[in-house]
Amino acid sequence: MTAHLRNLQGNAACALGAIAAGCRFYAGYPITPSSEIAEWMAAELPRVGGIFVQMEDEIASMAAVIGASLGGMKAMTATSGPGFSLKQENLGYAVMAEVPCVIVDVMRGGPSTGMPTRPSQADVMQARWGTHGDHPSLVLAPHSVAEIYSETIRAFGLAERLRTPVVLLYDETLGHLIETIATEPPPPEALLERKWAEGPRREYRPYAAGEDLVPAMARPGDGHRAHTTGLTHDETGFPTQDPERVARLLDRLLGKLEHHRALIEKVDRVETEDAELLIVAIGIAARAAKAAVGALRRQGVKAGLFRPVTLWPFPEEGFRSAVATAKTVLVPEMNAGQLVLEIERLAPAGVTVHRLGRYDGEPIAPEEIVAAARELVR
Amino acid sequence: MRVQEPNRAAVETRDHARVTSVLMVGVGGQGILMVSKVLATLCQNAGMEVKQSEVHGMAKRGGAVFSHIRFGPEVHSPLIPEGEADVLLALEWAEGLRWLHYLRPGEGVFISDVRRIVPPFACRNRGRGVTPEYARATPAEIIGRLGTGYALDATGIARGLGNERTANTVLLGVLSTALAFPEEAWIEVISRVVPAETLEINRAAFLAGRAWVAEATVPEEEASPVTADPLLARITHRLEITRAWCKGCDICVKFCPERCLVLDEEQIALLAEPEACTGCRLCEWLCPDFAIRLHKEVPAPGASTSPETTSGTAGCDR
Amino acid sequence: MNEIALTSADRFDIRDWLRLEMFPHFLCPGCGHGLALRAFLWAVHELGIDRDALAVISGIGCAGRLSAYVDANTFHVTHGRPLAFATGLKLARPDLTVVVITGDGDGLAIGGNHLIHACRRNLDLTCLLLNNEVYGMTGGQVSPTTAAERYTTTTPAGNCEPGFDACKLAEGAGATFVGREATLQVPTLKNLIREAIAHKGFSFVEVISDCTEIFGRKNALGNSPEMVLRQKAGMRPDNWGNKVDRPFRPNPFPTGVFVRKTRPEYLELYEAMTAAARREERD
Repeated sequence: MTAHLRNLQGNAACALGAIAAGCRFYAGYPITPSSEIAEWMAAELPRVGGIFVQMEDEIASMAAVIGASLGGMKAMTATSGPGFSLKQENLGYAVMAEVPCVIVDVMRGGPSTGMPTRPSQADVMQARWGTHGDHPSLVLAPHSVAEIYSETIRAFGLAERLRTPVVLLYDETLGHLIETIATEPPPPEALLERKWAEGPRREYRPYAAGEDLVPAMARPGDGHRAHTTGLTHDETGFPTQDPERVARLLDRLLGKLEHHRALIEKVDRVETEDAELLIVAIGIAARAAKAAVGALRRQGVKAGLFRPVTLWPFPEEGFRSAVATAKTVLVPEMNAGQLVLEIERLAPAGVTVHRLGRYDGEPIAPEEIVAAARELVR
Repeated sequence: MRVQEPNRAAVETRDHARVTSVLMVGVGGQGILMVSKVLATLCQNAGMEVKQSEVHGMAKRGGAVFSHIRFGPEVHSPLIPEGEADVLLALEWAEGLRWLHYLRPGEGVFISDVRRIVPPFACRNRGRGVTPEYARATPAEIIGRLGTGYALDATGIARGLGNERTANTVLLGVLSTALAFPEEAWIEVISRVVPAETLEINRAAFLAGRAWVAEATVPEEEASPVTADPLLARITHRLEITRAWCKGCDICVKFCPERCLVLDEEQIALLAEPEACTGCRLCEWLCPDFAIRLHKEVPAPGASTSPETTSGTAGCDR
Repeated sequence: MNEIALTSADRFDIRDWLRLEMFPHFLCPGCGHGLALRAFLWAVHELGIDRDALAVISGIGCAGRLSAYVDANTFHVTHGRPLAFATGLKLARPDLTVVVITGDGDGLAIGGNHLIHACRRNLDLTCLLLNNEVYGMTGGQVSPTTAAERYTTTTPAGNCEPGFDACKLAEGAGATFVGREATLQVPTLKNLIREAIAHKGFSFVEVISDCTEIFGRKNALGNSPEMVLRQKAGMRPDNWGNKVDRPFRPNPFPTGVFVRKTRPEYLELYEAMTAAARREERD
């Protein structure tokens, strides 16, 4: 395949990335500012033999995506804050039943209906803790149109390989930003795929996992006739309330992503080697931060940027090494302080953590970050 | 299964100069009214006077349906008196037995499907302990008492043709050999009465009924009731109750038409009177716990059978 | 010859379709849902469907638990959403026979919207709605089909809402096959479900079931056999609707097939309408 240079909107890049990753099913419900993903999928999926369906609500579209994935298709939905809230229960089902799928949350101002056409980064914690119960979360936070394309492909790989829902989290600005990108579908052998159950049914236990903690999935029609439930289950797939089995399931579910951190984690560092002031940011705020790092360096401030491309599970080791030389950490984010909580948790003793928040529907400008940083290093 | 050779001479010389009475019986939904209509139309076409009288109120619930048809140069009463039916056509075995006393003794022709339909609620109000004797009589026993009788698995023949609902037309084919109307006249009427899309299969069913009679003509010495093959009577049934699954809801006990189930001291269903069980399956169907299974056992073809096994044994698998 | 002598009822052993290790099941004594499950599996047996090609999706509640007992591809999903899950599964896997088992709360209250749109969309699914007039699993609260004035744990003074006619809803929403039968009539119910599954397009069957232990007791409806028998008094085939004895039973629930019509099936229509796009070369 040759790379095509195209001017694409972030949401379009997301749709094309999904198709390049092998996504053949999309169910969605219109919501600003993510609707273009659905529109692109509606046009593109039939061309690759896929299925697009607009469901009756956000809940149903999440359910249909899980249903399609249970049937063996790579499946995706996209939404924004209010719809993301509605999807949370079924997202939890996908975690519990270990059903691969990708959910895109194009963040807009909240709470409630908020500002549908204005950007925000206020779903950082909803993406981590949105569904009830103890659960792992896998969230990717791209910061450019090109990265939306590549991270969407990566999201499918991780979802399929690890049997888990993966959230792609970016804001309205990126969703509607148009940039020139190279859309180069990866060769099929480069894609991470699902592990399907093989062998005799008699020996198959649907939720028995080997060392990688990821059980092989039964595909309907292959003869395994498994039971899938959102109830706490044991390795047979049937419900249990036996404390030992319950603990074993949750240990594995929570340990699964921990076990695969090397595969999951991805970070971007800009001049962190000697940084005394470390800026931590994601998405559009990280782009401003990148510009701010350049400006601060020119002004003699040893600034650096740590950008967790994989937002959850938070790349703790990557952050620890990036923060090694820092005395101060600044977290610019378009919310009232969410990412900063994780940074406060992880920051070593003696390092002070500050936030720069904005929730008025305007992106954070590089000058704001520069000004805040100069205030901190004075 | 041919049971006794028909009295061909008698049948073929029947000239319809006097009133001929045909009684058709069965249970709701089998198509008795359709075959009645065929015969009545046929008679009408032949220029005879026809009177037809039917009862079909309980059709939807599997209840009894019957139709009296009388035809001849002049017919006064629409009803057939007891003992004066020339032909009794039964679409269901037990219903056929119920009307046997209407046949003309020694002369009447009995034609019946051997299939048994036990409508779940048709016999619920029968008194406790009343033995359903008619259900136990084998085709061989019955036909042996009659002048001429045909007991055949019309439903099976119809199913073999692709639609078991045409069992009534198979029986019509058998009936046609007992009356003096030409084959073409029957087919012509049938094709006007049945829905167009079922015309071909009904024609096939009619011819299959006629063919069955032709094939059933076997030498007299082989036709005794003793050597006949009363297949259905040789099927035995056994009620299996899975005690671990039964929750003692009492539904089977209260619904059993024969009152042969009880709850034991542990409140678990027990077949207390196995000899009373008719194998109607009501308990199996209405058990919410899937704790009851009726096993029907069909002996291998040609296997010998003793008279004891023909009455149906029931055992309780505890 | 011996084969011919056996009927469908003789050949159908429900235990061939069950996960025997799960038994006895968790349903209360006399629960009508067991009868509904028998009729469903009997229908599937008669249709000759391979259990590997059968998918059963159920939601939450007593009816929702039934899928776990069926030896097929089974999915016990979130409350009210089985039709939405089934839509995704069927679109991804049209080769599967997909049957949804839901209840009156699952399918008509929390999942009512999905039912409406599944009827309208006409994807080739079958929905069995087991109506026992109550939320049994949670202890007997009022449901959308609880008859007016009935007592439940959340209507201690009686229900002041009218019950819901699910079949009329399905018909109004455009379902191409709609029917209702009571669990008492097991063979008739089996025939209805068989026709529903064989129907091309969305089919909806409301099964009148009994909650004997909770709803029955609360409303003094008698023991299990009495409740099952009451269905006979309360139900009647729809073609009896205008008969002369109707005045003696002023409020019978009709049973039978209410809608049986042909409309293009969703996936076939989708594929036909996107055929031009499917033929295009991707740029």
